[in-house]
Amino acid sequence: MTDLTAMHALVADHQRSLVATAERQRLARLARAQRRIELDHQHTKESSMSRQRVSQPTTHSRDCSRRSPAAGEPVVTVRGLRKSYGGRVVVDGLDLDVAAGEVVGLIGANGAGKTTAVECVQGLRRPDAGHINVLGLDPSRDADQLRSMIGSQLQSSGLPDRLRVSEAIDLFAGPRARNRDALLEQFGLSHRRRYPFAGMSGGERQRLFLVLALLNQPRLVILDELTQGLDPAARREVWSAVVQLREAGTTVLLVTHELDEAEALCARVVAMRDGRVLDQGSPAELVARHASEVTIQFTLTAGSAPADTTVLDQLQRLPGARTISNQRGQITIHGNRDTIAHAGNWLVARNEPVPGDLRIHVPDLEAALLTLLDASQTNKKEGQ
Amino acid sequence: MTTTLLQPTATRHEIAAATDTVTDTASVTKSMTRRLLTSELRLFARDPLTLTFVFVFPILTMLIIGGSFGTESRHGFPVNPSHWYVASYFTVVIGATGLIMLPVHIASYRERGVLRRFAAAGFPRWCFAAAQLAIGLLAIGVAGSLLLAVAAPVYGIPTVADPLRVAAGVGVGATAFVAIGVLLGTLLPSARSAQAIGLLLFFPSFLLGVGGPPPTVMSEPMRKLTEVLPLALANRAIREPWLDLGDATGALLGTAVIAMVATALAARRSAL
Repeated sequence: MTDLTAMHALVADHQRSLVATAERQRLARLARAQRRIELDHQHTKESSMSRQRVSQPTTHSRDCSRRSPAAGEPVVTVRGLRKSYGGRVVVDGLDLDVAAGEVVGLIGANGAGKTTAVECVQGLRRPDAGHINVLGLDPSRDADQLRSMIGSQLQSSGLPDRLRVSEAIDLFAGPRARNRDALLEQFGLSHRRRYPFAGMSGGERQRLFLVLALLNQPRLVILDELTQGLDPAARREVWSAVVQLREAGTTVLLVTHELDEAEALCARVVAMRDGRVLDQGSPAELVARHASEVTIQFTLTAGSAPADTTVLDQLQRLPGARTISNQRGQITIHGNRDTIAHAGNWLVARNEPVPGDLRIHVPDLEAALLTLLDASQTNKKEGQ
Repeated sequence: MTTTLLQPTATRHEIAAATDTVTDTASVTKSMTRRLLTSELRLFARDPLTLTFVFVFPILTMLIIGGSFGTESRHGFPVNPSHWYVASYFTVVIGATGLIMLPVHIASYRERGVLRRFAAAGFPRWCFAAAQLAIGLLAIGVAGSLLLAVAAPVYGIPTVADPLRVAAGVGVGATAFVAIGVLLGTLLPSARSAQAIGLLLFFPSFLLGVGGPPPTVMSEPMRKLTEVLPLALANRAIREPWLDLGDATGALLGTAVIAMVATALAARRSAL
C-alpha cells in the first residue's frame, strides 16, 4: 500500500498549500483520481482472488485504455458473463476473447444472447455476474470513458428523420474525429451530405452508421446485425466497407445471424446458443469439425457407362468416400472434401463426357451451425 | 494471486493522467451537451407538427375564444374575458409543450433506437434530458412571446398586477410540465402511445382548467376537478397574480411540488 500512502500524502500536501478556488477544484480532481486508483487496487485484488475473473495488471489495463493496443493484444476479455431478464437467463457464463486486429463474429440463432453480450461489452447493460475488460476498462464502471473508444453500429437503432448526413457527423464527432470528408468519400456518401436520414436508402443508412462508428477513430468497432433488411447489392456494399476495416487492422466484433456474412468477413466466429458458447474457431475450422461431408451427384447414362456394381465398387474405393448410392443411374457420393478431387479425376479418366448434371454440394458455416445447434438441442434433451 | 502494487512514481503518473482524464471528460461532456442541444434545436425548428401545436394552436384558439365573450366582465368572468383568456393561454403553451411535444418527441426517439445510439456514442445519461429541458423552456418562452405579440394588437395585454408572482408561476409551471413531458417520454413505449396519452391528458386539462369556460359557470364536480388538475393549478398560479384576482399562493406551492416531484422522477427515468 506504499503507493496509496504516497497519494494520501500528496493530496494532504495540496490541501495545506492550495486555498484559491481553482486550486481547490484541482484538489477535488486529484482526490477523485486517487479514489479511482484505490478502486483499481480493490478491483485487481478481487480479480486475483476469483478464478472466474481475469487477472490483468492495472498498469497494463490503464495503458491499453490510453493507446491503441498492438496486434494480438487483448481488446475484449469476457469471463463468466451472466445476464437475465425477469428470470430468463439470456447470457449464461459466456467467455469471449477478442484480440487487437481481429474480426470476430458472434453467430447463433435469434435469442442466443449475442446482442445482450455485446451490449454488456459496450456498457449499455449491467451484467448480473462475471467480469468484462474492454481496452483495460470495466464497461459498467467506466462506461463514459469507454464508449468514446468504441464505435458502434447497433441493432434496431436509427437517427432522427430530419437529421442530415453532415449534421449527424457534426453531432457524433468527438475530439478524436478523423477527416470527415475522407470518411464520407470512402463510404460513398459525400454526395449525400445534405440528405435527411429519412431520405436515404437502407444501404446508405448502414454505410452512414459505419461512418459514425468509425468517426472518432475507435479502438474497437462493434457491428450488430449490420446488413439486416438490406438487399443483396446493399449487403455487398456494406461488406466491402467491413473488408476495408479488416485490411486496415481495425478490431471488429461482428454480431450476425447471416452466416454467409460471418464466413465472408470474420477470421474467427463464436457460435452461441442459449447464452452459451457452443464452439469457436475460423469458419473453415467450424465447417470441418461439424459439417465436413460433401455431396457429389451425377447421372451415368446407360449408353456411356452402366451404373453397375463395378462402377459402384470403383467409386466406393475413392479416397474419402463414405457412402455411395445409385438410384436409376443417378449416383450420389457422400464423403469428405478430398472426395471431390478424386471423383472428378475418376470422371475424367473414364474418357467419357463429364455428366452434364454434375453437382457438388459443399457444406458451409450454416450447415456447421445447424449441426451444432441440433447436437446441443439433443444434449439438452438428454440432460433433462 | 497477482500482485499489482504500483510504484510511487507510477502512482503520480496515474494521478496526473487521471486528473487530465477528469478535465478532458468534463470538456468532452460540455462539448457533447452543446452539440446535442444544437442538433435538437435544429430538428425542433424542422418539425411541423410540433411547431403547429406549440406555436399556432394556442394563438388560434386564443383568438377564437378570446373574442367570443366580448370585453365586459360578465358570463361569470371576473374581468374582461379577452384578458382572462390572454392570461390563461400562456399556460396552454406550457401544457402543449409538456404534455404533447416532449413526450411524443422523446418516445419516438426511444422507439426508433435514437437514444440507444446516443448512449452508445457516449452521450452522458443526463445530457439528452438536459437538452430537452432547455428546448422545452425555450419553446415556452418563444411561443408565449408570440402569443402575447399576437394578442397585443387584438385584445391588448392585461396589466400584470404582480410581476414577481407571475414570473414565479411561469417558471415553476414551465419546469413542472417540461419535467412531466420528459417523464412521460421515458415511460411511454412508443410515439403513438405518447401522442394518445398526451392528448388525453392535455385536452381535458385545457378545457376544464385553462382555455374553457370560467369555473363559475361549471358544475360543482367539474369545479372540484379543476382545483386538482396540474395544468389548472399552474394556470391559477400565473393568471390570478397577473389579473389581480389573488396571490394564488396555494396554486404556486402546488405547482412547485409537482415541479419538484416530476423533475426528480424525470431525472431518475432519463437513463438512456
